[in-house]
Amino acid sequence: MTVTVTAPAISCRGVSKKFSGKYAVHDVTVDVAAGRVHAIVGENGAGKSTLLGMISGRLATDEGAITIFAEDLRAGDPRESRRHGLAVVYQELTMVPSLTAVENVFLGQLDAHNGFVRQRDMRRRFLELTSDFELAIDPDVPVRNLSISQQQLLEIIRGVQANGRILVLDEPSAALAESEREVLYRVLGTLKEQGSTIVFVSHNLDEVLLLSDTITVMRDGEVIGARPRAEWDKRSLVRAMVGRDVHVQRHAERRRLDDESFAVENVSLPGALHRIAVSARKGEIIGLWGLVGSGRTTFLRSLVGLEPGSSGTLRLAGRECPWPKNVRDAVRSGVVLVPESRGSALVMNMNASANFWLGRRSLTKVFLSPRRERLAVEGTARFFGFDARRIGDAVANLSGGNQQKVLLAKWAGYQPDVLLVDEPTRGIDIGAKSEVMSSLSRLAEEGTTIIMTSSELEEVIRISDRLLVFSHGRVVHEVDTAHEDYTVEQIVKFGFGEVENP
Amino acid sequence: MSKRQVAAAGAGSDTSRDSTDALDARRGVGLFVGRFSMVGVLVLLIAVAMTLYPAFLKPANVSNILTQNSAVGIIAAGMTFVIISGGFDLSVGATYALGGTLYAGLTLQTGSAVVGLLSGLAGGAIVGVANGLIISRMNINPFVATLGTSSIITGLAFVYSNSAPFIVTNKPSLVPAYQTLALTTIAGVLLPIWILIIVFVIAGILLAKTTYGRNVYAVGGNHEAAWLSGLRVKGLNASVYVLTGVLSGLAGMMDSSRLGVGQADVGGNLALDAIAIVVIGGTSLLGGEGAMWRSVVGLLILATLTNVFYSLNISQNWQLIAKGAIVVGAVSVDAMTRTRRRG
Repeated sequence: MTVTVTAPAISCRGVSKKFSGKYAVHDVTVDVAAGRVHAIVGENGAGKSTLLGMISGRLATDEGAITIFAEDLRAGDPRESRRHGLAVVYQELTMVPSLTAVENVFLGQLDAHNGFVRQRDMRRRFLELTSDFELAIDPDVPVRNLSISQQQLLEIIRGVQANGRILVLDEPSAALAESEREVLYRVLGTLKEQGSTIVFVSHNLDEVLLLSDTITVMRDGEVIGARPRAEWDKRSLVRAMVGRDVHVQRHAERRRLDDESFAVENVSLPGALHRIAVSARKGEIIGLWGLVGSGRTTFLRSLVGLEPGSSGTLRLAGRECPWPKNVRDAVRSGVVLVPESRGSALVMNMNASANFWLGRRSLTKVFLSPRRERLAVEGTARFFGFDARRIGDAVANLSGGNQQKVLLAKWAGYQPDVLLVDEPTRGIDIGAKSEVMSSLSRLAEEGTTIIMTSSELEEVIRISDRLLVFSHGRVVHEVDTAHEDYTVEQIVKFGFGEVENP
Repeated sequence: MSKRQVAAAGAGSDTSRDSTDALDARRGVGLFVGRFSMVGVLVLLIAVAMTLYPAFLKPANVSNILTQNSAVGIIAAGMTFVIISGGFDLSVGATYALGGTLYAGLTLQTGSAVVGLLSGLAGGAIVGVANGLIISRMNINPFVATLGTSSIITGLAFVYSNSAPFIVTNKPSLVPAYQTLALTTIAGVLLPIWILIIVFVIAGILLAKTTYGRNVYAVGGNHEAAWLSGLRVKGLNASVYVLTGVLSGLAGMMDSSRLGVGQADVGGNLALDAIAIVVIGGTSLLGGEGAMWRSVVGLLILATLTNVFYSLNISQNWQLIAKGAIVVGAVSVDAMTRTRRRG
């Protein structure tokens, strides 16, 4: 071994990654010291997961280089990462549900002799490892019968037994309950004592402050600061993540709001939403904001019957309505959701017009008339800034912005009283973004109630009359964006579950 | 603000209009060739057939080819719906046998070919409804579900016929009525050929020109999007199996009518042949894409090939090998164009 003891476990030198020509991570230089716990934090879309992907060898760097204990890391091959001693635990677990705990831990690296699997040796090693970590996991139980947290611990054990010197974790505690987190923290502590290096991404700032030796804050794809734990506290972390105290003012003029058009109470979904109440008036735009996993998308989906386990009471224009069971129910009562993901909400090899008419009472009862359909769509398409000449093009050939306009036109075409819009501007260019936002404003002026989510806080603040902050399936704060100026930092703090002192 | 947008936009897949159009132009020729390549293969095959066998296009031979392939043809028309919806139906062979058995059995027992005919259609419909319910309500993979029902249907047909064929020709009084389905000629063309043509025309219109057809494409193209759009996804999913069920029953009765016998142990290769026809035409096994005319082309390719092999006196064994090779070839071409488009 010629590797010097002082070489950092991971060294990123000027690392950048582009998606569709835009930087997701830009010129990042970070060292992770051997034997330390290093946390990466930042807002949604700050580039944490992308950086982690490059460190773990899953994504190739576009610029710059990453070395692991002073050796270059070539991306794209899991074997290569394993050779460097990298063990990666993704949010999406990679267990084979039908195999047992032992088999999963030794997946891809079965202990074999002359081609025969040495079941007994693997079992012994498994029991050694679990007792090291003081865990009680039955080696012979199929993984599908284990809890998520147990599976996650098995992933960690898999990495350790493969001689992992560096453990990389993406949001390890997001899916865990409080008591399960304690076990995770204990295991990570044991690993650190044994000399492993740990890198992890987390939204949970308490956990970050509890576990880390060093904390790196990212914003807009760049590193804002990488300092020892002692130099951070929760406040300074949030400020670094959000940037300077940006006061955001509303663009739109305050509209005169009409009567209540929409009210829900006690919206619950076991494990996801807890007794949420929201009411809105005609012509009002309500923004929902929260971190990934805070429940805003689930909330919108349950309002149109896409979450079968959800319950609550619904009042539309003062009239009690049954809780929607499916999209058809919701559309009939005048509530419509423009879904989040264009990829799963549009049929890509159909044209824009066919997507518009999909699922709706057609102009013609039985036989299609593409020509008449297109003519009937043109007005709605133009309202959303969609070029009418492209109505006959397959949706797959449209840009993200145009796809979004098709999706908006499709759903707003029902002329609903309440339009729910989930992440309408994700991944589209700036021009399309402003067209989408202005068309939503115009809809509201015409009297539609709009409830929208966006990960881009400034954008939501600018367009909405009120902003509801979601955290852990609850509405934790309501901001009157029409009357008060708020700094982004103040709002983000609520999103992290920090309650402001009265 | 602008930097924030850059970071957020980076996660999306934004294709600008210009680059898309340029790509389209470059792909234009290739796409055209890809779209109609199977028509080219058919023309080539017919040309080869005519040189080898000058009587190939004579009315007698054409009539012969179409009659022999009418049963598998109408099953393939139904299979086109199933495959475009993203499904699969392996039970068509068993349903075909059930149709013939019910037709013969009930004609003999009641003395009325009409009752036999109706019961054959009903049998096919019931099988289709069962398949549809199992697949859409119980969320069972169509491959496994229809493999299972296939065995059940065959078993039931054997039980009903007491493991012996129903031989209608033993009762000469019933034979004329029984064989009406297969041997009637209208305007000099046999009824099965008319049925084949009518089924393809109606199926083609249903698929391409009606809301029902478009919804089938939507379910196969993006199940999630169809569901989010409020389509009755489960009903649509089930309906295509009713189509194959009824058409398979009808196909079985047509052949049984020609032979004057109804038996449970026929139709073993039909599922493979029908799927082969759809796939050779260029309809994607992944669902959401394809067309009825493609299955017509696939049917004609397979029919011509069989005819040429017979005329050259090449054994059935080699036909099997050639047929398999063509299916694998057609699917490979589909896979290759797909990866090229992606990459």
